[in-house]
Amino acid sequence: MPFREINSKMVEAVVSPGQRLFSQRGAMLAYRGEVSFTPNIQGGQGGFASMIGRRVAGEATPLMTVEGSGTVLFGHGGHHIQVINLAGDTLYVEADRLLAFDGSLQQGTMFMGSQGGVMGMVRGQVTGQGLFTTTLTGHGAVAVMAHGGVIELPIVPGRDIHVDPQAYVAHHGNVRNKLSTALGWRDMVGRGSGEAFQLELSGSGAVYVQASEEKL
Amino acid sequence: MFRLQGSKTLAVDLTGDAVKAKNGSMVAYDGRMTFKKMTGGGEGLRGMVTRRLTGEQMAVMEVSGQGTCYFADRASEINLVALHGDKLYVEASNLLATDSGLRTGTTFTGLRGGASGNGLFTTTVEGTGQAAIMSEGEAVLLRVTPQYPLMVDPGAYIAHQGSLRQQLQSGVNFRTLMGEGSGEAFQMRFEGDGLVYVQPSERNTIGGDV
Repeated sequence: MPFREINSKMVEAVVSPGQRLFSQRGAMLAYRGEVSFTPNIQGGQGGFASMIGRRVAGEATPLMTVEGSGTVLFGHGGHHIQVINLAGDTLYVEADRLLAFDGSLQQGTMFMGSQGGVMGMVRGQVTGQGLFTTTLTGHGAVAVMAHGGVIELPIVPGRDIHVDPQAYVAHHGNVRNKLSTALGWRDMVGRGSGEAFQLELSGSGAVYVQASEEKL
Repeated sequence: MFRLQGSKTLAVDLTGDAVKAKNGSMVAYDGRMTFKKMTGGGEGLRGMVTRRLTGEQMAVMEVSGQGTCYFADRASEINLVALHGDKLYVEASNLLATDSGLRTGTTFTGLRGGASGNGLFTTTVEGTGQAAIMSEGEAVLLRVTPQYPLMVDPGAYIAHQGSLRQQLQSGVNFRTLMGEGSGEAFQMRFEGDGLVYVQPSERNTIGGDV
């Protein structure tokens, strides 16, 4: 089901019987109708094995299941909200940035360190976001949080996008990512421009970038 | 070429030319870019020494290449300023990026610096080209004409351009001394012909407390 943007910091979702919605626990601002909110210890769907996987990966943001019939307003911490519609592709996003998403989307975790060998390990350290990320696949909408406004940059073959790891929010599509460095002797002696590491994204899809280098 | 993508991200299209930007403010780019730190704000040895002495420090990098580079800083709102040979006065902390054709420097602001909590010096941007300045919340642009001087709260002031004289004006009276201050003890008074950028937010100032 789609999310309707009320303003840049609030979204409204319509819940109808037989359809589920997952949201970050405590992100409900208001609701109309008969809607129930159940804490979800498994942190989404996928059963027990997936829950263990997420615990181990540190991608275990407490979620709740939203069911019933009515409309629900979501927002959290005054953060900017970006609605991303998936049409069969996969969204990669850190679990703590997920505000709410369609229950029909397949949820999983992915080891990001595997992309790019040693640099993959470094990526986790540099971005401060860990080596695992959450994936959502299928048809449906996802509401993602960011600090400040969000811009969407299309990634097309032959035109790579470089993103500051701290400003990276999420990406979707058929995209490879690796950490690229601009390390020269200047950076080694502490006179860097502050742009020593970038995430290099190539393939086809889109990346979402926040107008800030602060974490949530 | 400067353009805004949303109100909080600055996109700069580069075709082999360069732009000066606040250190570490790049959030994304496509194409090929190089980032080089500029010592002393790119103003040479003299500028470097002046900036050290005045405390109006500015860490700047030069970005050059082919493609589009995106800049943002702590989710601040961004305002584009066009300069046609005139001078822009702005706090170094509110300056995000300038065309490579613009010169930057420092100037003495006098007493108002003390009350506005900004220090006694401010940064100047001079020449012809574009600059991007940051504000907390959407800034308004107020025109000052010889007939209509403008008073601004020092904590809400971010920048001005044109030929303006500024002075600090105090509303301190008997009530203030008795601890009954309105919190608007000091204002910056602008006279002349020019533009003043004001943000809908107030930095902590000495003036705001009395």
